[in-house]
Amino acid sequence: MLSTFLSHQRKSFWRSRNKGGSIATQIIIGFFMLYFLVVAVGIGFGMTIFLPKIFPNQTVMTSFNGIILYYFAFDFLMRLQLQDIPTLSIIPYLHLKIPKRKIINFLNAKALFSAFNLWPFFLFFPFIFIEIWSIDGALVAVMYIVAILSIMVFNNYFILYLKRKSITNVLFTLVGLVIIGVFAALEYYKVISIMVASNFVFSEMADKPYLGLIFPVIASVIFILNSNYLRRNLYVEELGSKQEKKVSTDYAFLNRFGKAGELAALELKLILRHKRPRYSVFMGLFFLLYGYLFYKAPYIAADSFSKMIFAAIFMTGFSVLSYGQFMFAWQSSHFDGLLINKIDFKDYIKGKFLLFTIMCTITTILASFYGFLSPKLLLLHLAAYLYNIGFCTVLVLYLATFNYKRIDITRSASFNFQGMGATQWILMIPFILIPYLVYLPFGYLNRPYLGLMTIGFFGLIMLFMRAYWVNYIAKRLELQRYKIAEGFRE
Amino acid sequence: MILEVKNLQKVYGDKTVVNIEDLQITAGETVGLVGNNGAGKTTFFRMLLDLIRPTNGQVLSKGENVMHNDNWKNYTASFLDEGFLIDYLTPEEYFIFIGSLHNLSVADVSAYLNQYGEFFNGEILNSGKYIRDFSKGNQNKVGIAAALMQKPEILILDEPFANLDPTTQIRLKKLLKEQTGNMTTFISSHDLNHVTDVCNRIILVEKGQVIKDFKTDENTLKELESYFSA
Repeated sequence: MLSTFLSHQRKSFWRSRNKGGSIATQIIIGFFMLYFLVVAVGIGFGMTIFLPKIFPNQTVMTSFNGIILYYFAFDFLMRLQLQDIPTLSIIPYLHLKIPKRKIINFLNAKALFSAFNLWPFFLFFPFIFIEIWSIDGALVAVMYIVAILSIMVFNNYFILYLKRKSITNVLFTLVGLVIIGVFAALEYYKVISIMVASNFVFSEMADKPYLGLIFPVIASVIFILNSNYLRRNLYVEELGSKQEKKVSTDYAFLNRFGKAGELAALELKLILRHKRPRYSVFMGLFFLLYGYLFYKAPYIAADSFSKMIFAAIFMTGFSVLSYGQFMFAWQSSHFDGLLINKIDFKDYIKGKFLLFTIMCTITTILASFYGFLSPKLLLLHLAAYLYNIGFCTVLVLYLATFNYKRIDITRSASFNFQGMGATQWILMIPFILIPYLVYLPFGYLNRPYLGLMTIGFFGLIMLFMRAYWVNYIAKRLELQRYKIAEGFRE
Repeated sequence: MILEVKNLQKVYGDKTVVNIEDLQITAGETVGLVGNNGAGKTTFFRMLLDLIRPTNGQVLSKGENVMHNDNWKNYTASFLDEGFLIDYLTPEEYFIFIGSLHNLSVADVSAYLNQYGEFFNGEILNSGKYIRDFSKGNQNKVGIAAALMQKPEILILDEPFANLDPTTQIRLKKLLKEQTGNMTTFISSHDLNHVTDVCNRIILVEKGQVIKDFKTDENTLKELESYFSA
């Protein structure tokens, strides 16, 4: 029966309507996987060399034992975001003469096909076979393998259990990251230590191998818990996320902008109520950390903005870029509705500008904490901000009129390449190149602030020309409307 | 003449989906468009609403080509399919949004919605759901009510009776009949009973062409039935 299910799955993949797209996606994901696998194998085999370098004051064994629980803590958080619940595919079987037990087995088996369940093999096993086997003997090595696989299985089913109970959301992950961050900080300041705890657990196990049997017991408990929960709730509507009561909201602050404000509010709701756009906007917050990589003390001291301008523009404009690259397609499911209603194209475009300006302003304000590194960075951010709201917004919306690819907004966010096309790549080139081209001559002449001013001024001019751009893009949209609407209907 | 169709053609590849030479609709008429699947009804409606570009010909609304300006949107309301609904909104949010486009205040909208309590059967308002979580029938109701709320001079509905429960079908017929006189209604339907009941003019299409165009009387239903059973 399991093999029948799997063969149906295979058929559903190969015969799906947008096969081309999903194959391309699979190939891209495949490359990513391959890359990460190679990295994992490298790390796995290199561990004997890396570990003493990273943790010079302790033995290799202590370090190895110490990182295991850390790894699985991160594994847990990553899974929370990326691992999907295999659900929908079972609907056609529920009413047939198939015992529930088999359907549950299928769901459980399918859940194991996840890249997360591959990494541990490559990361930890080489070290276990090379080092532990030769030092502590076969029994200990086997117990290590059993323990690591058990924790992996534990994470796998615990995540599914949590997701089915739907206690998970973005906030949850953020809190998790903060908790791990706090532990890392406590570790750093030597208050407490996961590493010590992890080392304690595994070195105890190395001493008394039979203790390792605790891990499979814990894994079995969560497996059984998950299966029982499934068995009791094998109803499609209960397998997905729980429904909560939806309420109407009104964004009063947008009302003062008239029709454009209403359209912006509409889109704000779109962003907040769907996973994929929400992700692409909130990724911008994640990229706020970019500055730590690029803003180096020597650069700041030497005013060499050319090395930092990319980061500044990226940080202040990322949300606009990542959300805007699929522009109009977010609304593909109701684009017809927008066209037949009394909506002026100009208001429509103005609403988008308004939304972009708000997003950009928020990220710029958040990014201003880099002012603590140096107040100069605030000037850099101001220039980047003006560039983004002046130029980047126009660029994004102009290119949006070439985008005819439908997006099914209800689908999941991670590794979703639906709606990707040439526009997305074209967008990046001017976005990155123009500020460099503007700045470079001033950089050579050693007039860095004049360079920043010019970029800011360029943005400002574009901002003053906004009325013109609104008209221009609205006209283009009007010309392209049949083509866009047709593409979105598919 | 509130709506005029002149020489309208839509060709996909080598297939002519719509080919209507001349069609005139006077204000206040209730017109039913009848035809089998693939007759080109939806394509025709989409051209009336400027959603697809005709290969040839034009649609004139109050004498103005719908492709050239947006004036027709001031007095035309329509519901063809769920693509017209913004499905991540609650019904209230959607009605308020549509109302705001016609300068109706929140109070106006809720006053209007109050008279639809019966039509909604208590399932739509304050349900704590987004439109996408509703059944198809209830989504239809939202779309139709939003269209009527605009107090349009022209109302275009594509298969409004499909997916509706019997009670609502009867209520909708009542609603449409009450409005006759001050509103030009253009509906398509596969249900010959309903369409002959509501409409005072029937247009029968096949393969994109108008086959028959006549006023309804007591024999219409029989006539249509015999046509479609042949």
